[in-house]
Amino acid sequence: MVAASQVLYYLVRPTQLRSIIQWKVWHEPVHKRDPSKETATEKACFHYLNLTSRSFSAVIQELNPELLMPICLFYLVLRGLDTIEDDMTIDIATKEPLLRNFSQYMEQDGWTFDKNGPNEKDRELLVHFDDVIAELKRIKKPYYDVIKDITIQMGNGMADYALNAEQNINGVNTVEEYELYCHYVAGLVGEGLTRLFVESNLANPQLLVRMDLTESMGQFLQKTNIIRDVHEDYLDKRRFWPKDIWSKHVDTWDDLFKPENLDKALNCSSEMVLNALKHADECLFYMAGIRDQSVFNFVAIPQSMAISTLELVFRNPAIFSSHIKITKGDACSLMTESTQNLRVVCDVFRRYTRRIAKKNDPRDPNFLAISAQCGKIEQFIESIFPTQDPKKIAAGKAQQNPDAQMDTGEAFLLIMAVLLVLGAMGALMVGIAWFFGARFDGAVRQLDTIVSATASAIGSKLGHEEL
Amino acid sequence: MASEKKPSLGSVMVIGGCGFLGHHVVRLLFRDYSCSAVSVVDLRCTRNRRPESDGVAYYEADITDGAKLVDIFSKARPDVVIHTASPPAQSNDAVSHALFKKVNVDGTAAIVDACRKTGVKALVYTSSASVMSDNKSDLINADERWPVIRGADQSEYYSETKAAAEELVLAANRSPESPTLLTCAIRPSGIMGEGDTMVLYHMINIYRQGRNNVQVGNNENLFDFTYVENVAHGHLLAARALLLTAASSTIPLDHERVDGEAFLITNDQPVYFWDFCRAVWAAAGSPQGTESVRVLPRGLGIVLGYLSEVFFGIIGKPPTFNRQRIIFSCMTRYYDITKAKKRLGYKPLVSLEEGVRRSVKWTLDQEKEKN
Repeated sequence: MVAASQVLYYLVRPTQLRSIIQWKVWHEPVHKRDPSKETATEKACFHYLNLTSRSFSAVIQELNPELLMPICLFYLVLRGLDTIEDDMTIDIATKEPLLRNFSQYMEQDGWTFDKNGPNEKDRELLVHFDDVIAELKRIKKPYYDVIKDITIQMGNGMADYALNAEQNINGVNTVEEYELYCHYVAGLVGEGLTRLFVESNLANPQLLVRMDLTESMGQFLQKTNIIRDVHEDYLDKRRFWPKDIWSKHVDTWDDLFKPENLDKALNCSSEMVLNALKHADECLFYMAGIRDQSVFNFVAIPQSMAISTLELVFRNPAIFSSHIKITKGDACSLMTESTQNLRVVCDVFRRYTRRIAKKNDPRDPNFLAISAQCGKIEQFIESIFPTQDPKKIAAGKAQQNPDAQMDTGEAFLLIMAVLLVLGAMGALMVGIAWFFGARFDGAVRQLDTIVSATASAIGSKLGHEEL
Repeated sequence: MASEKKPSLGSVMVIGGCGFLGHHVVRLLFRDYSCSAVSVVDLRCTRNRRPESDGVAYYEADITDGAKLVDIFSKARPDVVIHTASPPAQSNDAVSHALFKKVNVDGTAAIVDACRKTGVKALVYTSSASVMSDNKSDLINADERWPVIRGADQSEYYSETKAAAEELVLAANRSPESPTLLTCAIRPSGIMGEGDTMVLYHMINIYRQGRNNVQVGNNENLFDFTYVENVAHGHLLAARALLLTAASSTIPLDHERVDGEAFLITNDQPVYFWDFCRAVWAAAGSPQGTESVRVLPRGLGIVLGYLSEVFFGIIGKPPTFNRQRIIFSCMTRYYDITKAKKRLGYKPLVSLEEGVRRSVKWTLDQEKEKN
């Protein structure tokens, strides 16, 4: 059912509708699942994937067949962990060993879990987890080892976090704690994915040497979500913004949401955006290491969404009172652009970087730092796709700006020509009007009075100045 | 910090050591290095002096007076010479052109000559990043491979003389006349800081006159401004590298060498041109955001600038507003300083934000003292 309001919305925003149609009609997946050749448990896994993920299910299902199942299973295992961690109806004594030993349960044939609260949105996945376990046994050993290793690390990280009562009450204090949290929920996932990409030879093995690039990929996504979701988390009494940052702007966490503190809150949010933006150039660098189109699409789409979300939340008062998202049309055009190549994704990053720079406010204490960070992203893009070639400039083939090159005589002629044409047109129109009987005496008389009034005003002003 | 840990530079002479950049070089010499002696040569040695206790030897001299220079060099016996002296790049008439030529080119030639005659080991020359600019084309992430713009293509005579002097200095490196003299050039971009009476002074004036609500162009042009202490730091790293090269028995590999080379030095933080102005205005007390800013498109600006030039041409005065100003404020001009990072180990000591804060504070304090 399409609501009338939606029809109206797209009628006044045709470009949005165009982007959606463009994506739906013209997007050709690099690879497609073939359900006719899938086993019943494989089909079940994709069913739970569609059930539990909105943003990732489509891109996962277009992955290179080599990694299709491993990454689908990786996602489901982590989602399973997350479902236990998120559930506040499970007490900590039960939760902790479940999280720490999850990597063992995922090896036991037929293991399922039905102790989730009835309202836990992804409880179905754990109720039928035996399907996931069955498929895990069928993937290649190296892929399985990666999944298991990350599951161990993440299970322990989540257990530590759940035990850390102080953090649950007061939230994150330092920027280091904030980044450690992002590491556990996103950086680790990135680590597992990079190892899978390299293992399957779909990415440059150098990415394993520069794991900081992988870390940036996860941090960039997670930090963006944390900034965007601040109001939702506030209602849920959870706080991820580090005290180190917000305490510079307001005295208490609640103050951030009071309308009278809006200016301070915006400055605080822009410091959070600045902190997230420092990962942007490394994300682009990471994507340069991907060798397979389907993997590129898989990693690039969330990154493009993140930079555009950062632009949306930057200095946007709405984040403190509502949950905002990029529009469906923008999401579709971003997906189209993120499924081409690195150059197009760099253009996306530059476009949104410049938009962020244009919203930057000189009264913000981090104004210049944000400008410099935007500059850094632009400079990085220039370093991989240079606009200028020193050899060509040296050879005198520099592309010079025609405006700047125009010499005095040329400019003068151009201006005279414009004035002449304007004058001739004006005279022609007045002439035609006169020919058809228009009278100008009234207008002339009026003009006279205006001119003499102005002249006397100027005269009196000059007179005062002379005094 | 124990002073033994500071790197040694031997006997150091700073030419123009009472000037804007020069006195920061002297300051860093005392803060970050250990020197057996520090001497300063300047036209006037009354301002920006170190306290007597530092024992700096000040010599007043015109650097175009070759004989006097040789005399001073023989007394001070420097191992390292840092040549920062240059007239302000502001005016653009026949008188200042003659001055640029005399000080920048002839003065530098005299310094090279004095270095040769007195056995100086290392000469570091302050060039300018503007030698790579034709003052109308963009420089986008440019590095030292970009050509130096000379002759008819170089519309700013100041830059022409800086480039000529740089060429003189670099040609003197390991030259047959003085095989032991090592030289290099530092090309800073948009220096600002305490002691600067040009860049920030003018920007703050624009704010005082209420002209800060117009933006020419779309403000997508990145520009490199550099805090003076970072520029001074770059000079001293270069001096240190030249001394190390002089002490080693082999000539360094091409991709490592410092002698005979030019190095771009910036804050490594290009920012949008008007953002920099606004940051300065905000630091000077402007309470304004960007809501009231009117954007003058570049093309229209050029037409207005032209009309202004014609008008002032008719009344026979130099125009206060011209096309070059419009082009300058819309130009992209930022650099890639990888070479300085790799070969000199350069990294800015002070961030651009802190640099602007300190520099604007200094400019405002100066004003208060005057009033």
